[in-house]
Amino acid sequence: MTLDPAVEAPAPKQKARVKTPAARPARVVWRRRRGRPLLNLAAALIVTAAVLYAAFLPAGPLPALGPAFNPTTGAWTMAADAQVTDRTLRLPGLQQPVRVVLESNGTAHVVAQTDHDLFLATGYVHARFRLFQMDLMRRQGEGRLSEVFGKAALDTDRFELQLGLLRTAQLEWSQLPVGDPSHAALLAYAQGVNDRIAEAESTHQLDAMFTLVGYQPKQWTPIDTLVIKGDMTQTLSFDDTPILVALINKSLGADLTSEWFPVLPPNRQSPYDPGPYPKAATAPIETMRAVSDAEAQSAAAAYEVLESLPKGLLKTEGASNNWAVAPSKSTSGGALLAGDPHLDLTLPSIWFQLTQDSPNFHVAGVSIPGTPGVLIGHNQHIAWSLTDAMNQQTFFYLEKQDAAHPNQYFWNGAWQTYKKVEYDIPVAGGATQHLTVKLSVHGPVIADRGLTTSVWWGGNLPSQDLGVLLRVTQATDWKEFRDALRDWHSPTHNFVYSDDRGNIGLISAGYFPQIAKGRPGLPMAGTGESDVTGTIPYDAIPQSYDPPSGFLWSANQWQVTPDYPYYLGTANFYDPGYRANEIHRVLSAPGKLSAADMAALQTDTRDFLASEIVPVLLQSLSSDQLNPTESAARDMLASWDYRMEINSAAASVWWTFWQSYLGETFDPWWKSRAVKVKRADVNAMLGQDLEFWTLTDPVNRAFSAPGVGSRAASDAERTAFHKAVSTLRTSLGSSPRSWTWGRMHARELTNLALVSDLSYGPRAERGDGNTPLAAGGRISTAGPSWRMVVDWGAGTFQGIYPGGQSENPASGWYTNLVETWWDGRLDPMLSADQAAATSGVATWKLQQ
Amino acid sequence: MRLLVTIVTGLVVAIAGVLLGAWWTPFVIGVAFGLVVTRPVVSIGLGAAAGFLAWLLPLLGEEVRYGLGPTAASLAAIMGFGHEGAIPVVLTLLVGTLLGLTGAWLTCAARSLVPRKSG
Repeated sequence: MTLDPAVEAPAPKQKARVKTPAARPARVVWRRRRGRPLLNLAAALIVTAAVLYAAFLPAGPLPALGPAFNPTTGAWTMAADAQVTDRTLRLPGLQQPVRVVLESNGTAHVVAQTDHDLFLATGYVHARFRLFQMDLMRRQGEGRLSEVFGKAALDTDRFELQLGLLRTAQLEWSQLPVGDPSHAALLAYAQGVNDRIAEAESTHQLDAMFTLVGYQPKQWTPIDTLVIKGDMTQTLSFDDTPILVALINKSLGADLTSEWFPVLPPNRQSPYDPGPYPKAATAPIETMRAVSDAEAQSAAAAYEVLESLPKGLLKTEGASNNWAVAPSKSTSGGALLAGDPHLDLTLPSIWFQLTQDSPNFHVAGVSIPGTPGVLIGHNQHIAWSLTDAMNQQTFFYLEKQDAAHPNQYFWNGAWQTYKKVEYDIPVAGGATQHLTVKLSVHGPVIADRGLTTSVWWGGNLPSQDLGVLLRVTQATDWKEFRDALRDWHSPTHNFVYSDDRGNIGLISAGYFPQIAKGRPGLPMAGTGESDVTGTIPYDAIPQSYDPPSGFLWSANQWQVTPDYPYYLGTANFYDPGYRANEIHRVLSAPGKLSAADMAALQTDTRDFLASEIVPVLLQSLSSDQLNPTESAARDMLASWDYRMEINSAAASVWWTFWQSYLGETFDPWWKSRAVKVKRADVNAMLGQDLEFWTLTDPVNRAFSAPGVGSRAASDAERTAFHKAVSTLRTSLGSSPRSWTWGRMHARELTNLALVSDLSYGPRAERGDGNTPLAAGGRISTAGPSWRMVVDWGAGTFQGIYPGGQSENPASGWYTNLVETWWDGRLDPMLSADQAAATSGVATWKLQQ
Repeated sequence: MRLLVTIVTGLVVAIAGVLLGAWWTPFVIGVAFGLVVTRPVVSIGLGAAAGFLAWLLPLLGEEVRYGLGPTAASLAAIMGFGHEGAIPVVLTLLVGTLLGLTGAWLTCAARSLVPRKSG
């Protein structure tokens, strides 16, 4: 900036008059004298206005610089926020003093004298370390992201308000009896969060992201907590599979679609509940029918809506593991339990580790910030973990409408009027948007082009899951555990169980929708005959307790055999089952198992699919002409142990071959039939088909796509292998031994606010989408979000998650747990008393 | 002597204001310097210095108490400057300096339009 000369060197008027050349006309001199101060003032006004505007108001992506960067109350306060020391705090609402012990790694131990205080203090602790994350999660579910992030978030907000997490949460809260323990827990938790908000505002210690984005968090309510529960349900169970299948059906035809997207999985699975099953007369699932033009148009409209949503909002592919081992197979003589739920890996993590001690609760494990209970963990008698049960919880309906009946749909023999809900969506930097949501008996209308599509979703069933969870954390045996889960609705989970008396169990608790008739793998008629009529009786859902084998396991696979009488979903709702097969292979091997074996299995990198397919591929290549590079690649596969290790070049050959094989088999179909769905969206299902055909039906017509002539599996394998080697040579060089998996494959822990420089990685990583150590894709952003191993015989409890307890990137607890997790190690899960005896702890005394 | 008292008072008020959360105080002090100090070059310089110091000293206090390295690196990352922690520091001090400077400059520029009383 250059100051006006008149300001920099203001000359006395008299002096200026002397210096003025005598020949210069007097009028010009006068103008200059009058002009300079005016110019100076104009410049000062402009610059000052610019500075004040930038200081007081946000401009584009920039926050208001004054409040954002001033050293006392701005974003610099994250330095003070990062310090955690012994403190005594006054929290309004507490009934008795509460002690919070914070381990040197950030794990929190809340010790309260009343249950009310336990949940209040938990709310305070969550908000102290994760308030911005909690606010983001409630905003996501409540359709209020645009209010702070602008129009870029409008699609997400519109979708969430259509789907109705907020409506469901409001209904759940209104239906929750005042005397229910979870009612009191929700209120106390909200009080604790609000205590922290008030404290942070008064001490200018709000998370820096609030300052930088430029808003203040609103008061927390129980409904916010219930919305966050809805967020998780949506991520795990809202599935667009029927929409994809409808579009594929329109392009490929009903015949191929029926064969490639079957109801039962074509490949070998390892169900944990082999039966016998109760007899039941269930409605038969109709055969695949042709999709009409109008249906395809409405499916395309719904596909557009769902495809526009950010990654991770809806269910994609499942990936979680858990298992339990009975004392008869345990080296310690007690039951073992292991669990690692796989979710998007973010910084901060979805998890917050803590222990809760009060008169009625003694529980340790991980909680979701924004919710008051421990979701996965153990108490003094039992331990549990969960995986997604994967059954179909999303049903799409095509509503019958008529121009003569505006705003109505035909259902159960009569015209019904759509209910309407009106929303205003505030948009930062833009005009408030209005949204009208139409609701049929099935649920919200999500697309209105072609035929009107509404969606029935299990997550919209009001469900008092928090009360269930509180009863689970208090259970002392299998009966109490199982009874508590009776009321769990959504998302459906495989709850694995072990206890201190040596019992193990597994139950797929939740809502298993059944329909009267129809093909639920496609959008169905909304006229009533295909409605959801109820769920599988609780005693008939998949479950097992103390099986003769001495172990139980789940990894999103089919829980039952084809004899099971009830409808669970179609094969493509489920995981292909390779992780489950590998876990079953390890657990069923002779010999006893230890806690260390459990931890090793959690980081197992053996690709079960590779172990099936590579021998077949080698056989096919035995009669093929290979160049020296191809021969070297083949030889590496021949001596490979099927482990997707960073230093393994064979792993790269296998993975590239399998992608090439999928493309070689299916891409000609996709191209010739102009399929509108991305093949990658259905690779998991196509992979199961390809596995099955390769092993048992090598002349399946799928290998002879239009334009490629008559082929068998071995022909496609050879072509795919040549292409894979060529791809690797082009991308990684001419020496096959240098094609290590770590050069092709990495993992990233993504910053929740999408600040790439605050993410971790990408860093070379082992495993793939088929291995128990789940790491799908070239750069994996999802995987084991928490690992826990419990050994009741040895009395040891261990756990770890990738990330840290604090969302503050300047804190030592932002990524401090990552290295331990990455190395496959676990930290001891200490009790509050054990933690207090360790070094480096901070203790908070919370008082009224 | 009067000028010195004015300067010290202005600086103290600016720093105290920022410490109390009134981050815009340097602008007000800049205006005050523009009114009280007759030579524009001096008042503008004082305004800039007051803004600079009023934002620098609390920042130094934070550095001494907590260490600002990780915070500066995090802020740089959020702003899209990688982990160049110097950038948010410079930006912060620039904002403080500009607040004081513009307050004084605007006042001086306005004053220059007002005719001086003769005699």
